[in-house]
Amino acid sequence: MRRWTAGWHRIGLQTQFYGKTLGSTGAAFTYYPTELVRLIAQMGLGTGALAVIGGTVVIVGFLTLTTGALVAVNGYNEFANVGTEALVGFASAYFNVRLIAPLIAGVGLAATIGAGSTAQLGAMRINEEIDALEVMGIRTIAYLASTRLVAGIVVVIPLYCVAMLTSFLAARLGTTAIYGQSTGVYDHYFNTFLNPVDIIWSFVLALTMATVIMLVHTYYGFTASGGPAGVGEAVGRAVRTSLVSSALAVLLVSLAVYGQSGNFNLSG
Amino acid sequence: MISTVKATKPIRAVGGFFAMALDTLVLIPRRPFAWREFLSQSWFVARVSLLPALMLALPFTVLLVFTFNIVLIEFGAADYSGTGAAFGTVTQLGPIVTVLVVAGAGATSMCADLGARTIREELDAMRVMGIDPIQALVVPRVLAATLIAVLLSSVVILVGLVGGFIFSVFVQHVTPGAFAGGMTIITHLADVVIALIKAGLFGLAAGLIACYKGISVGGGPAGVGNAVNETVVYTFVALFAINIIASAVGIEATL
Repeated sequence: MRRWTAGWHRIGLQTQFYGKTLGSTGAAFTYYPTELVRLIAQMGLGTGALAVIGGTVVIVGFLTLTTGALVAVNGYNEFANVGTEALVGFASAYFNVRLIAPLIAGVGLAATIGAGSTAQLGAMRINEEIDALEVMGIRTIAYLASTRLVAGIVVVIPLYCVAMLTSFLAARLGTTAIYGQSTGVYDHYFNTFLNPVDIIWSFVLALTMATVIMLVHTYYGFTASGGPAGVGEAVGRAVRTSLVSSALAVLLVSLAVYGQSGNFNLSG
Repeated sequence: MISTVKATKPIRAVGGFFAMALDTLVLIPRRPFAWREFLSQSWFVARVSLLPALMLALPFTVLLVFTFNIVLIEFGAADYSGTGAAFGTVTQLGPIVTVLVVAGAGATSMCADLGARTIREELDAMRVMGIDPIQALVVPRVLAATLIAVLLSSVVILVGLVGGFIFSVFVQHVTPGAFAGGMTIITHLADVVIALIKAGLFGLAAGLIACYKGISVGGGPAGVGNAVNETVVYTFVALFAINIIASAVGIEATL
C-alpha cells in the first residue's frame, strides 16, 4: 500500500515539476536569454566527443538515413514480389513522413539532447552546484530546466527538417542508385503521394516529442542523487521514460490527426 | 608510439574500443567464468528492461499497424493487415525496440557502474591484485546484455503482435481470422531466426560499447555523466547501422 501511494506521490511531484518548468518559460526568456542561446548552440552541434562527429544534427540525420534506407530495401523487395516496385516512391512519401521520421527522430532526440541534459543536470546536482545556484538567488528551474525546454523545441525545428530530408534521400538513393529504378518513375510516384499537410502534421508530432522528452529528461537530471552511479541511473530511467512517453504521445496525436479519415486518397 | 595529437583522439578511442572488444571475445572461454556476476547482471538488465520494452512495443506496433491499415483499407485489402503487421514487427520493430530499451536502461547502468569504479580506482586495484577486470566484470556484462536482448525480443514481438491484433480488429474492424491467417504469408521461420540473431548482435554491441565507455572514463563524476550520455548516443547509432546491414543481408538470404 505504501509503495503504491509512494508511486503516485512521485508522479505528483513529477507533474508539479513539469508545471513549474512550463510556467517559468517566460522567466527564461526575460532573465536568461544568453543561457538560452548558448544552450541552442550546444544542443544543436554538441560538445566534446559529440561535437567531433557533428553533434545532434549529424546523429539524428544518420539514424533517419538508415531507417529511410530500410524503406528502400524492404519496400523494393516486397513490392517486386507483386510487380509494383514503381510504388517505392509512394512508400517513402507515406511511411517516412507519418511513421519513420517522427519515431526515429524522437529516439535520436532522447539519446542526444535528452540524455545530455540529464547527464549535465545530474552532474550539477551531485556536485551541489544547483544548491549553490539557489543560494545565489538564481531561479534554478527557469535557468536550468525551462531554458533547456525552450532550446530543445527551437533546435528540433531545423533538426527535424534534416531528419526528414535524409530519410527521403536515403530511400531515393537506395531505390535508384542501388536497385536501379529510374529516377523519373521514383520521383513521379513520390511527388504524387507526398502530401504537404502530412508534413506539417509530422512537424507537430516532432514538436510534441521534443517537449515531452525535454520535460522528462530535465526532471530526472534535476532530481538525480547518489553520486556518479546515481547520474547513470537517472539517465537510464530518463531514457526509458521519455522513449515510452514520447512514443505514446506520437501515437495519440497521430490517432487524433489521422484517425477520422486517414487523409490518404489513392485515386483523385 | 601512440599519437598524442588532439585531433586523433576519436581514432584512438575507436582503436581502444576494438582492442577491448577483442580482449573480451578472447576471454569468454577462459576459466574461471564469472557465473555469479553473469547471472546477477542478466537479472538486473531483464528487471529494468522488461516493462519499458513492453510499454514501448505497444505504441510503436499500433502506430505501424494503424498507418499500414489506412493504405490497405483504401485498396480494399484490409485482410492483409496481419501480413504487414507480422513482417514489420518481427523483422524490424522487435529487435529495435528491445535494444532501445536494453541500451537505454541496461547499458547506461553498466557504463555508470563501471565508470564509478574506474574513477574510484577500483579497477586499478583489481589489476594490482591480479584479477583481470575485463574477465571479471566486462565479459559477464556483455554476455548478459546479449542473452537478455535475444530473450526479450521474442516477448516484445509477441506483445507487439497481440497489440496490433487488438487494435486492428476492434478499432479498424479488420476480420480477425484474416489477420491471424495473413501473418505467415511473407514472414517465415527464417525471418524469426534472423530477428533473434539481430537482437543478439545489437545486445552484444550495446554491451561492448557501454563497458568500453565505462572503463575508459576520465575527469571525475562529470566525466561519468558524459560517458553515459555518449554510451546512449553511440549505442543507438551502432544499433541502426547494424540494423540496415543485417536487414539487407536478411532480405537477400530469405528471398
